[in-house]
Amino acid sequence: MTRNKVLKIIGAGAASLLALLFIAWLAWVPFAEGPGYVFVTAWGERGSAPGQFNDPTGIAVHDGEVFVSDARNARIQVFDLGGRFKRAFGTKGDDPGQLGRPMNLAIANNELYVADYWNNRIVVFGLDGTFRRAIGREGKGPGEFNAPGGVGVASNGDLYVADFYNQRVQHLKPDGGFVSQWGQTGKIGIWAGEFNYPTDVAVAHDGSVYVADGYNDRVQVFGWDGKFLRKWGGPFGMNIHGPFNGWFATVTSIAVGPDGNVFAADFYNDRVQKFRPDGTFLTAFGTPAAGPAHTAIAVDVADDGTVYVVNYDANRVEKWRPRE
Amino acid sequence: MKTIRQLMMALALLLPLVAANAASMTYTLQVDGLACPFCAYGIEKKLSSIKGVAKVDVDIKHGLVVVTMTEGAELSEQLARDKVKDAGFTLRSFSRIP
Repeated sequence: MTRNKVLKIIGAGAASLLALLFIAWLAWVPFAEGPGYVFVTAWGERGSAPGQFNDPTGIAVHDGEVFVSDARNARIQVFDLGGRFKRAFGTKGDDPGQLGRPMNLAIANNELYVADYWNNRIVVFGLDGTFRRAIGREGKGPGEFNAPGGVGVASNGDLYVADFYNQRVQHLKPDGGFVSQWGQTGKIGIWAGEFNYPTDVAVAHDGSVYVADGYNDRVQVFGWDGKFLRKWGGPFGMNIHGPFNGWFATVTSIAVGPDGNVFAADFYNDRVQKFRPDGTFLTAFGTPAAGPAHTAIAVDVADDGTVYVVNYDANRVEKWRPRE
Repeated sequence: MKTIRQLMMALALLLPLVAANAASMTYTLQVDGLACPFCAYGIEKKLSSIKGVAKVDVDIKHGLVVVTMTEGAELSEQLARDKVKDAGFTLRSFSRIP
């Protein structure tokens, strides 16, 4: 075989590879289809005084107030929409009403649901901070948790809990009674309906359940009854991470906006990504990390479409609005 | 008299060792990928469940976990390795702080 022939074969191979990569890029790296977001303001710094945080990890916006999990301070802080401190509640401990490490939050029927990662339970407060009840305990049986990361609440009060170390999502009645679980307890999986450290759940207005499947770098969507509907995040939505549009590097929080669009905190990529309910990528925004940690850990959306993001690295809350 | 002096010297030599054993022992564990709180808290939680652990500090900047034991308690490398594995990580190194 002549040298020219070898070079031709190598050249053809390289061209084919480039063509394949280009096709893959077109197939798996979508262009933004929606307008971006503009940074409005931020508040908070490291500390334990009112308005300061020591590892903020969760957020929920409701009726003009912003509730923030302040994990290492073992409390929930409440602000107005401009970031002015209003009140705080919760103390460190494992007695009823106390908190270990509060993570993702949800608000439904004028109650705040706190996933307490450390105490293996969901703690429910009134919006004024009054302790109402606790759901679950440590374990791997029905209705038990091993580090719950987040909870979604359906319109009928049913709970969907991201049971982080048990590698499952549990569907519970409002009183904590077990209904069903998705995923096999303690078994990591990358196929549809399986989980790899699920971190959060959000329930849409139509009853669909969106799961932040943390280390599978994807979002999975289910019917209220657990029927798998769809998934997205990188090629095939199966644990392939990356920094591109529509790809993730650990999904740590999920929220559904007033128009049904889905917002996911893409932690190691320091951004929030926005999708249509069918998974079509719309846009992404966020703040680069100063280090050593990363920024976008939790997200929620107000009724007017304003997005509130917890910046874990900077110990602050950021407010973003849709670009006009 | 010579015997008493020898005994006193031996005691003087042993005292620091006894004191060191009586003090709390501290261990440094190197673990990759601790930047996310779900990971860092998971490690803290699993290691805190070990009998005799007084405090667990996570240094995410350097990927280090520092475990301080209660007085007289020790941490075995195998147990630390198992707990780190339970938390979903791999223990890269284990050392006792002198």
